[in-house]
Amino acid sequence: MRRGPPRRLARFLGPEAAADALRTSGNRVLRHSAERARVAVVVLVVVALIGVATTVLMPAALAVAIDAAVAGVGLPSALVRLAVVLAVATAVGAIDDLVGSYVGTAMTARLRHRLLGHALALGVPGQRRFPAGDLLSRLAVNADSPASFLPLLLSAGTTVLVSVGGVVGLALIDWRLAVTFLLGVPVAIVLVRLFLAQAGEPFLRYQQSQAAIVTRLLDAFGGVRTIRASGTAEQEITRILQPLPELNATGRQVWALQGQASWRFSLLAPMIQVLVLAVGGFALTAGSITTGELVAAVSYVGLALSGIGLADALVSLLGCQVGAGRIGEVLDTRPTVGAPPHPVPVPPGPGRLELHDVTVRMDARVVLDHLDLSVPAGTSVAVVGRSGTGKSVLVSLVGRLLDPDEGEVRLDGVPLFLLAPAALRRTVTYAFERPALLGNTVHDMIAYGRPDASRAEVEAAAAAAQADRFIRLLPEGYDTPLARAPMSGGELQRLGLARAILTGARVVVLDDATSSLDTATEVKVAQALERLLAGRTSMVVAYRAATAARADLVAWLDAGRIRALAPHQVLWSDPGYRAVFAADQDTAVADAVVPAGSEA
Amino acid sequence: MRLADGIALLRRHLRPQRRALWWLAAWSALEAVPVFLSGLLVAGAIDRGFLAGRPLLGFGWLAVLAALWAVGALGTRQAYPWLAATVEPLRDSLVTALVTASLRRALAGQEGADGSSVVQATVQVETVRALFSALLRNMRQLLAAGVAALGGLAVLSPLLALVVGSFVLLALALFAALLRVLIARYRTVVLTEEKVTALAAPIVGGVRDVVVAAAEGRAAGEVGAAIDAEAEATRALARARALRLPVVTLGAHLPLLVLLALSPWLLAGGHLSVGQLVGGVIYLSSGLEPAIALLVNAGGTIFVNLGVVLGRLAEVSAEPPTRSLAAPGSFPAGYDLALERVSFAYSPDAEPVVRNLTLDVPEGLHLAVVGPSGVGKSTLANLLARLAIPQQGELRLGGAPLSGVDERYLHQTVALIPQEAYVFAATLRDNLSYLRPTVGDRELEDVVAVVGLEQTVARLGGLDAEIEPGGGTLSPGERQLIALARVYLSPAQMVILDEATCHLDPVAEARAEQAFAERPGTLIVIAHRISSALRAERILVMDGADPLLGTHEDLLAHSTLYAELVGHWSDVRCAGAVHQVDRQP
Repeated sequence: MRRGPPRRLARFLGPEAAADALRTSGNRVLRHSAERARVAVVVLVVVALIGVATTVLMPAALAVAIDAAVAGVGLPSALVRLAVVLAVATAVGAIDDLVGSYVGTAMTARLRHRLLGHALALGVPGQRRFPAGDLLSRLAVNADSPASFLPLLLSAGTTVLVSVGGVVGLALIDWRLAVTFLLGVPVAIVLVRLFLAQAGEPFLRYQQSQAAIVTRLLDAFGGVRTIRASGTAEQEITRILQPLPELNATGRQVWALQGQASWRFSLLAPMIQVLVLAVGGFALTAGSITTGELVAAVSYVGLALSGIGLADALVSLLGCQVGAGRIGEVLDTRPTVGAPPHPVPVPPGPGRLELHDVTVRMDARVVLDHLDLSVPAGTSVAVVGRSGTGKSVLVSLVGRLLDPDEGEVRLDGVPLFLLAPAALRRTVTYAFERPALLGNTVHDMIAYGRPDASRAEVEAAAAAAQADRFIRLLPEGYDTPLARAPMSGGELQRLGLARAILTGARVVVLDDATSSLDTATEVKVAQALERLLAGRTSMVVAYRAATAARADLVAWLDAGRIRALAPHQVLWSDPGYRAVFAADQDTAVADAVVPAGSEA
Repeated sequence: MRLADGIALLRRHLRPQRRALWWLAAWSALEAVPVFLSGLLVAGAIDRGFLAGRPLLGFGWLAVLAALWAVGALGTRQAYPWLAATVEPLRDSLVTALVTASLRRALAGQEGADGSSVVQATVQVETVRALFSALLRNMRQLLAAGVAALGGLAVLSPLLALVVGSFVLLALALFAALLRVLIARYRTVVLTEEKVTALAAPIVGGVRDVVVAAAEGRAAGEVGAAIDAEAEATRALARARALRLPVVTLGAHLPLLVLLALSPWLLAGGHLSVGQLVGGVIYLSSGLEPAIALLVNAGGTIFVNLGVVLGRLAEVSAEPPTRSLAAPGSFPAGYDLALERVSFAYSPDAEPVVRNLTLDVPEGLHLAVVGPSGVGKSTLANLLARLAIPQQGELRLGGAPLSGVDERYLHQTVALIPQEAYVFAATLRDNLSYLRPTVGDRELEDVVAVVGLEQTVARLGGLDAEIEPGGGTLSPGERQLIALARVYLSPAQMVILDEATCHLDPVAEARAEQAFAERPGTLIVIAHRISSALRAERILVMDGADPLLGTHEDLLAHSTLYAELVGHWSDVRCAGAVHQVDRQP
């Protein structure tokens, strides 16, 4: 039995080595959490031990009371002792629960605070390593592993002690009772194994059918407008519920298996009890035990049998260890972008950017290879290159979302790593392809980095990003909660632009921030940005030729280096440069005539 | 209030399973027989057998007990199929109600588009199934053990049973009162937990944005407050749980002490034999005590969880009010479409998205609608397909008010293809024949060729290829082609493409639009690219206050926005064209 659960868990966890590392890290988190709550842990252990003692003493106290009642001697004191044992047992249960809960919530809350803080400190590189959904499940589900581990461990420990206590109790009354009990145990173990071996397969199939219904439903949610326009709701409901009969059939199979195990157990425990009673009755006739002791023997059998529940506890304990490991994995990761010990003030200069001999590696691949780039103050530079050449990586360096593995990035001559991060963020800002929905309302989202901004400022920023009109059409305008403001990709991008505009930063980086806008809107946004960014330094990751054409200079990224830094009109005569835009839909009509492989 | 809703929901869905529940109860009663008689039989074995010096007779009594346990196990075995017959249809019925209601609500625009709350609800249905079956199984045990113990006690000594019974009743009343508090507090825990996830999700997903805004402190603080609130809610629940203590004392421990305290008097008065005293103690310590403990510990958890989850399920599976059409719909004679001074706003407070729009779309026209996004193009599409009802003005189809047109007729006549193409898990054939299930293979293949879907069909392995949930390996463009082919095959006389080709490259887009232009009937294209306008017979330019309708030439002359859009587009094209001349020496 004991080797079963680890092996089954290992299958879920993948390679053994990774699982071992996870468990080692998990043990560290568990130990650390327990050490911080040292006093409470000691209290819990003491309480648990008192609990074991009362549980084991209870049948004996009962026996004494019965015998005293039958003999008519010493009943009051026996009753007082029984009452004390009962009261202590109940109180211990309540204290255990309360203390465990207080310690547990403190542990969980602390881990959640740390996990979230650490995820923010890890920044963009961390996001690449731990995807959002994964991190969220660590925060929501795994963070309470240490809190559950302790009570589970204690209850497993007490179960073992109570079981052993039950057998010892039987033996103390009469050794033959203990032997009778122990003969029944192997049969019980065989039955438990039998059930666990069979149950896995239908359980898995049950979950698959269940998932099938959910995915079908989600499909339909994605096609709500089509379904409404086609009037096919009934047809859809039938389609979504198609896997239901299969689910029902599998569910019944699972019940049949559980039923089998259950009726065998329901027979086994009383049979052992009757056997013990028979042997004990014989001893009663012979006068070697008292009536009270016979009653106690029945209770001790019950206590001794409680050990069967241990298998479940072991599986849960392993689950906690893995869960704690998933927390440890995040906390053990060191942030790569850190604050300098003695920050230098941001230079007041015009906003000249220099990337000097910069190299970035990712997963052993060299993305930027000893790259040099100098962006004159007040110019707009479009970063252009085939997909996967590292355009986003390049612009990430400018605001220290990423640090280069080698080389240096300077703003007006000062290396970025010498600046205080918060001051740098006020100087360099970004707008992204898919801005995150931060804050409560639309206003809040635009002003997320500047909570002090007035409504007029927010409106002006939104107007510049061509977002003002659609925001006014929302049910509560700027005060519409984000959850009730369904937005298209293009609308979301305009909120992201408004957010960047509102910061008033000296250097603005647009990372594919207008890709979802239709042609008409992009023209308007471009015109507004041209006005706003006049005199500021800006970098724009561009996919469309038209976007590149609007910038003062184009930085053409190829094979990890800057292949050229020149105006679009100058570069356009190069077929290699034009090929960069081959996938661009707006120019595809024109470029379709040029064979894609025509360049040298 | 919501607990009541949850209980009503459970009762409604359990009603068809009444027969199974009765059988379950009957077999459970058989299961209780050995518990019921155990005390009596043990008392007999001791009094008549072991203490009377006749151990063999004692064994005989115990053998009867063992035989009864075997009968009880038979009861357990027979009860399980009926447990399955109760719980499985309950789950089916809840899932059906949930799917139906949530889809209807989504269709009525009352559900978040991501459907995450529904996913959570399906998990909750599973929780109800697990909890309810645990409740049935534990209840059987509980009732069997508790009732049998009290019943057995009544046979031994009616007076004793009365005393013990009143203690148990008192304990149950106390527990019922406690349960209300527990459910309320547990609900708070669940809600605060959900809040932590809801607040953390955008922050964890948008770490980059938080870092850029230098708002790490603010983000951590907001989620942190929710984390602390959740911890406090959990502690409040634990404090309430401590009140279980008197329930166990009152229901199980006091009766035992009372029995033992009274025993000298009962034994001396001949009301009770030694064996009967033992039997009574066994009923109380091995029957009643575990039953009360189970009720208070496991039962408490089950009741509380079930109460909370059922309450939330009742909310999610509430059907939206259905729109009923009072009179039978009309069947207009023609397909000319007209809008007269139509206005539409999403809420009374919001600015109208479409204002005072008057427009004629004669049957067979190819119309393109252009304008910046957010100007109301999709709303116009919704109005034309009656997915939105204007607050002012009227739409007419074939001269008859659109609002009065027969539902089925309307769906057959007007087809709308939105930007997000709907593809579902089924065969490609099912996906294509969605709007006309009777379509033949020959026609299917023709249409596949017309819209440009051949390569996709070949790649997937024919029309009978299964499409995975969520579209599987299909690219966004391929999904749009499937949606286009589907509508091309439909009987629709009026087709609205709402940026339905935005993921296609311009060549494929031109091909698809051309195919629809040649298909009989009206075609309205909400344009993503200006190139769509050049292919249309008429163009509607939407730009806030004054929508303009005209031909390409008219609009170039009269609409600055249109001229600007076309100019921008031509610039790019010209750059390419100039280069082309350069390349040919």
